[in-house]
Amino acid sequence: MRALLAIAATLWAAPHAAAQQMLPPPYQGVYQPQGVDEIGLWREDDEAEKELAASPLVIRDEALTAYVKHVLCETVGDDRCNSVRVYIIREPTFNASMSPNGTMRVLSGLFLRVRNEAELGAVLGHEFGHFESRHTLQAFRSRRTGSDVLAWGALLAGMAPGYRTMRTYQDLQLSVYGSLFRHSRDQEREADRLGVAYLNRSALRPQAAGDMWQHVMAEAESSASVRGLKKPNFNAIAFTASHPPNGERAAYLTELAASDGDARDDGAARYREALATWMPVFLDDQIKLNDFGASDYLIQNLAQNGWTDTLWLARGNLYRTRGTQRDFIAAAQFYQNALALNPALGEAYRGLGLSLIKTARRTEGQAALKHYLQLSPDASDAAMIRLMLPEENSQ
Amino acid sequence: MTHRMFRTLTGAVAAMALLATPALAHRLRTAKEAATVAGSDMSVTPDRDWNRLSMAPGKHAETWTLDGEQLNDVTFYGGIAPDEPLVRERSKKRDPLPKFLQSTLLVEIPELLEGTYRTQKNIASFELLSTEPTNFLGNKGVRFTYRYTDDDALTRNGEARAAIVGGKLYMITFDAPRLYYFDKSIEPARALMTSATLPGGGAH
Repeated sequence: MRALLAIAATLWAAPHAAAQQMLPPPYQGVYQPQGVDEIGLWREDDEAEKELAASPLVIRDEALTAYVKHVLCETVGDDRCNSVRVYIIREPTFNASMSPNGTMRVLSGLFLRVRNEAELGAVLGHEFGHFESRHTLQAFRSRRTGSDVLAWGALLAGMAPGYRTMRTYQDLQLSVYGSLFRHSRDQEREADRLGVAYLNRSALRPQAAGDMWQHVMAEAESSASVRGLKKPNFNAIAFTASHPPNGERAAYLTELAASDGDARDDGAARYREALATWMPVFLDDQIKLNDFGASDYLIQNLAQNGWTDTLWLARGNLYRTRGTQRDFIAAAQFYQNALALNPALGEAYRGLGLSLIKTARRTEGQAALKHYLQLSPDASDAAMIRLMLPEENSQ
Repeated sequence: MTHRMFRTLTGAVAAMALLATPALAHRLRTAKEAATVAGSDMSVTPDRDWNRLSMAPGKHAETWTLDGEQLNDVTFYGGIAPDEPLVRERSKKRDPLPKFLQSTLLVEIPELLEGTYRTQKNIASFELLSTEPTNFLGNKGVRFTYRYTDDDALTRNGEARAAIVGGKLYMITFDAPRLYYFDKSIEPARALMTSATLPGGGAH
């Protein structure tokens, strides 16, 4: 039976594959799109990229962008990666995408979900696989009927007044385009295979792809259990919404990885160094999302490479903002851990002071706040904090 | 057309029909006339005409605007009790918002608004610019400014005043695009904030 299915699959795939092989790969030289569908898709994509390039949400840090590009090149090889333009977008979501014309979008939430270059390379390589295999074009052809809905939506929205309606239309546009550009499970499997194949050939550790997937599942489970939900909602994670069942995926990713690659370097130290300035910012973006379970999991996952002052501070802020009495006690301890590693971390004194005040240790709390003001006299809330100190200290 | 697309389309048509209905009772708030806001005892006296939007963002919240809520938005929060979120939650279980707590300090109110905006809009670009003591509703209060970029890729500036009176949170926020509209409407918004009073509010 299985053999029969395999033959059927080959027969079905053969003409498609033949048509694909006629075209040069989309990353080669200055590739020009071929055929009316691809030309149209690229034209729209060029417009979208133009808007993206001017968006205030793009993080304009040459070093960080160059680093991500470098990891992509390390993964897929210099011959492939040169055509890609990388844009890092400040959005606290776990996702990356690559569109038909070679635009790679990396959302800042991704950086908290990977701990080393190999895991980052696994995600980037997967997205590059979609690009190399022209998955968007295939999906566009097979689901073309989706655009009928858009045409009607535009007509109806044109009849209605008001910004809200236009927004609804834009949401519709986004969601329909979403399903238009959403890859099928088979395409995801193919991209997974390609992604691991790139890693196998690279100098990075290919087992990282399976590892990362385990972490993503564990994060979703942690988020759900803290919220008292029975089942995690994997569809809420953009990157996993259309992907193959998660357990299956982690298993075959690990299986596909070359076993002799297990001893390779995963680049954890280099990753940590490259992200040093941004990690506190991205962590802050995450812990303020009011998702205690996911945030606490992510912090502990990142701490597997060793606790840092930044991680302790983030954990303190996370517990303090959830705000049960026992959270304040835990938070105070986390702030103290941060200060043990870096006594000049003003913000940790602020959190420590506020947490102590809330657990009826006002005098110690005020002493900590005083330290905060000494270390950060120009803090944006210095005047408010000064009011919380006793008179003789407030001068 | 698949069944799902059909559903999307009928949904869109229904939404359009709903939204096209003109009079969902936005109200004019006339200059010089005191008005209570957000279902609370807090009252303000505008120095010019404002529009009150009929759609309230939360049980104890109310929005006024001059040119449209995307262009200048004054939101009143009238007496948020402990363990309540500032605005309505999409899903209490799946997408909970941060809550105002009994233990929340005045200096933490800006963080509460920040957490609410970030969670509700799922944005990362939010920056608190300043936090200062002020007098609000005859009480010790906090005045703070902020800036964020919404998913419409428009950067907005904000200014707010808040106080905790009788264990409840009272706050007025003003949000407008940094380009043109913030400067254009900040003065009338500040006039609203300054005019706010709460019966018995100054007793503390």
